[in-house]
Amino acid sequence: MSPFEIAEPATIADALALLSGDDPDIRPLAGGSALMLMMKSGVFRPTRLVSLRRLDEFTGIAATPEGGIRIGAMTSLAAIEHSSLVKQRAPVIVEAMRRLANVRVRNQACIGGALAHGDPHLDMPPLLAALGAEVTIVGPEGERKVAVADLYVGYYQTVLAGDELIREVSIPSLAGRHTAYQKCTTRSADDWPALGVAVNLRAGKSGISEARIVVGAVAEIPTQLRNVEMILQGRTLDQALLAQAGEAAAAELSPTSDARGSAAYKRQLVKVYVGRAIAAAMDVVAS
Amino acid sequence: MKANTTQIGRSMPRLEARAKVTGNTEYTHHLKLPGMLYGKIFRSTVAHGRIRSIDVSAARALEGVHSVITGQDILALVPEPYFGPAFLDQPVLALEKVRYVGEAVAVVLASDPHVAESAVQLIDAQYDELPAVFDEIEAMTSEAIVHDVLKPSGTFPDLKHLVGRKNTNIALDYHLKHGNAEKAFAEADHVFEHTFKTQQVMHTPLEPMVSAAEPGDQRLTIYTASQSPSFVRLEIARLLGWQESQVRVKVAHLGGGFGAKLYIKLEALVAVLALLTRRPVKIALTMEEQFYTITKHPTTFRIKSGVNKDGRIIARRCDVWWNGGAYADIGPRVTQKSGFTSGGPYDIENIDIESFALYTNRPPSGALRGFGIPQLVWAYESHTDIIARELGMDTLAIRRKNILREGRPQATGTPMRSAEIELVLERVAARMKWDQPFDRGSGTIRRGRGLAIGYKAVVAPTTSTAMVTIAADGSCILAMSTVDMGQGSDTTMAQIVAEIMDIPAERVRVLNPDTDVTPYDMATLGSRSTYHMGNAVKLASEDARDKLLAMAMDLDLPPETTPVPELFRRKYGMQAGTVVGFGSFVPPYAPPDKTNGQSENITPFWMIGGTGVELAVDTETGHVRIERMINVVDCGTPLNPAIVETQLSGAAIMQIGFSMQEKMELDAGQVTNASFADYKIPGFHDIPPVFENEMVDAHQPGAPFGAKGVGESATFSVSPAIANAIHDAIGLRLTELPMTPESVYRALRILQNKPVEDE
Repeated sequence: MSPFEIAEPATIADALALLSGDDPDIRPLAGGSALMLMMKSGVFRPTRLVSLRRLDEFTGIAATPEGGIRIGAMTSLAAIEHSSLVKQRAPVIVEAMRRLANVRVRNQACIGGALAHGDPHLDMPPLLAALGAEVTIVGPEGERKVAVADLYVGYYQTVLAGDELIREVSIPSLAGRHTAYQKCTTRSADDWPALGVAVNLRAGKSGISEARIVVGAVAEIPTQLRNVEMILQGRTLDQALLAQAGEAAAAELSPTSDARGSAAYKRQLVKVYVGRAIAAAMDVVAS
Repeated sequence: MKANTTQIGRSMPRLEARAKVTGNTEYTHHLKLPGMLYGKIFRSTVAHGRIRSIDVSAARALEGVHSVITGQDILALVPEPYFGPAFLDQPVLALEKVRYVGEAVAVVLASDPHVAESAVQLIDAQYDELPAVFDEIEAMTSEAIVHDVLKPSGTFPDLKHLVGRKNTNIALDYHLKHGNAEKAFAEADHVFEHTFKTQQVMHTPLEPMVSAAEPGDQRLTIYTASQSPSFVRLEIARLLGWQESQVRVKVAHLGGGFGAKLYIKLEALVAVLALLTRRPVKIALTMEEQFYTITKHPTTFRIKSGVNKDGRIIARRCDVWWNGGAYADIGPRVTQKSGFTSGGPYDIENIDIESFALYTNRPPSGALRGFGIPQLVWAYESHTDIIARELGMDTLAIRRKNILREGRPQATGTPMRSAEIELVLERVAARMKWDQPFDRGSGTIRRGRGLAIGYKAVVAPTTSTAMVTIAADGSCILAMSTVDMGQGSDTTMAQIVAEIMDIPAERVRVLNPDTDVTPYDMATLGSRSTYHMGNAVKLASEDARDKLLAMAMDLDLPPETTPVPELFRRKYGMQAGTVVGFGSFVPPYAPPDKTNGQSENITPFWMIGGTGVELAVDTETGHVRIERMINVVDCGTPLNPAIVETQLSGAAIMQIGFSMQEKMELDAGQVTNASFADYKIPGFHDIPPVFENEMVDAHQPGAPFGAKGVGESATFSVSPAIANAIHDAIGLRLTELPMTPESVYRALRILQNKPVEDE
């Protein structure tokens, strides 16, 4: 690793000015847990890192009047994990944290970085996409809002320009929702996911009225399983439906082979885990 | 002598614990010397090739670069720059040929390590590629020959027959014959044969290798994170043609070793760089570079047993191929010294063992926590289970029937003494309530249980020496070259001194190894220190104590009651003087017969380790969840039970990683997962929720206070116990490590006649 400049601007304007444009060797620094791996392996050799840790607008966890949560981009994953507000309003996020890397990483990594990084093998993007969260992005032109589901365009590629920053993420009210995140790893338990399945359902007496299912780690970006969502629509959950959903998910995706598993094996994981995640979502409410 | 022990068997906290957690412990990584240059290594990108050219001009021209050194530059200083503990086969930097991807080819030196690192990228080496061999079985007959000629080190008489041998990758062939296996196979009711494989893995000490050298006037000081300071001194002196006293080797605490930091790793390189530049030179590897330095042997083990109807094993043949990689390191010794236990802790009257150390174009293999034993137990304990199931026998019953009991001859002919094999097996079974029904799960979650037992002979013969100094106020200093790499040797050795001197162990100061000061020790390896160094420390303490007693007699003082400070004051008229006690220990040993491996006394002591596992298999995904693990060992009488407990947990968890998840993936010799991002060692969630350790009630005669080594014992049986439990759960036998979820799932589908169709 070679020496580089590290800037710690105190205002958003200064931060944006320091990022200035298209230079790929200048990047924002949140917790740095992912960036440091890239720097150690020599994939990324920065000339300047712009730390966001002094930006007050990027911090804090707050309740929204609509029953949701706003989380500043520089909030550590550990802070989210231990937030009583998050536990109350979005327990599925707290649950997902327990097997997201390890305590040291969660103390360091920030939610904004986890979303902006664009690595398909992360837990938060599919989960927050399924929950209908959106990010507030600041840039030279001001602020804009983008759904987490629309943030990703390719492998390590997002809609963020080089001089844009995620300032916060807002999660809508999950009242009446059945949610679950099921993570499957194939190496160590705290590995990046070989597969992550996030489920967000609304269900009543006449069955499932709304379904959103997003899987991570099998494709270049988090992928919404629209066929599975349609199958679930209006149906009442039973074992046959879970099996059907799993089969449909496996048919809808084209996993690729990598160090975490072959394509054929991952297809099997999708088949199994989509059903399990839907079941888990419903169990949460049943209890 | 005192009637009661106060320091032995005491679970005292480690002496260095406070310094470590407050960040005050000395590590070689912290070392900075005035005028020091940092070295960064340029490594081979081909697995086997002749070096055509190494263009270092651009690197040399980079601002801030002091120099760039290649193998050719070293020849001016050392005409024969090859090292190794058994074979002088490894060049300090590659010469003429490279033999694996990652081999050190050149070094850039600069005052700024970042400059050195940048300059390494500017070096351009060209190779004429040669055919490469990676598999140990292929290496037996391959046309790709890794070394043109075998170069065993001249100091070992048993390697003489290999001198000058050409056109072979077999570094060493080891043979043992006990009884008449061929005849017994013909008479056996059943013959079973299976083949098992293990993968290449890494030690993964959290402190990567680091060494520095400082030139002096006809002197050289080496600072290194090494498990074998005495060997480093000897080998560097030999390379330079110097006397041992001209080389000083200093070792701080180690952040883990596990066999990775033995013999010569970076020490020869920093030594020649310091002498060539006349500047202090330091090289600190990154975590990633460790994958190109030393690893654990991949193996293939074909095991065949002749068994009678009643389950009695009457014949066994073991063929073991050890993939040693490009340089022999200690591999040939693994082949021999672990080879003779290949048949397992069973009373088998007729046994043949053939064990081969092979060169291949992989990163070198050496000793890793168990010295080859886990690879052997993996095979023979999986095999034992299969035989029992084929015969319709209980898997514990077959072990009970064949277990090697006290006094019976081991495969080498050596009668077993003080080896609680049976007791360890029975304690595992008792803790598992083996005779009780077991919940086998239902639906897609199937449960099973399994056990395994393994044993190891400590390497022999080896020497330890120690020195105990008594100051005039009665305080003690222990000088020894045993390296505390986290296993707690400083603390347990201090307990031995304290017990003899009748003081609290906290008052014993233990010196870090420094070959100018601390006397010879063979090395900190193979669980040998407690017994060998423990004996030397005990002898040194007794020598010091006896000198104090003699001093009292001379002064006509009551020897048992006069306080030590009073003794010194009376003798020297003031607080002055020193008493030095010395101890030297080398155990009795009978070398094996060269033709059949038989010996009356093959080892000073045996280590026994048994493991029991209860687990659940997810039949839809192949995930295996180890719910309960029991590790039982015979380590004699523990000196410090709390430290033993952590040794057992640490060893077993490490072996869980090697069993379930770790594997160095190679593509044309290139390790493709050489980082912690992709090479995943166990995390907290991988540790079984119920984890039990037990030391059986035992006492090792001839050992210090009955204690023997324990650092490796809980690695032995982990892998086969898991495989046996998987078999119990779902009727599936795995024969290759690691047992990843996908490998379990695929094997299960084959068993169901529905193999996975790849896309």
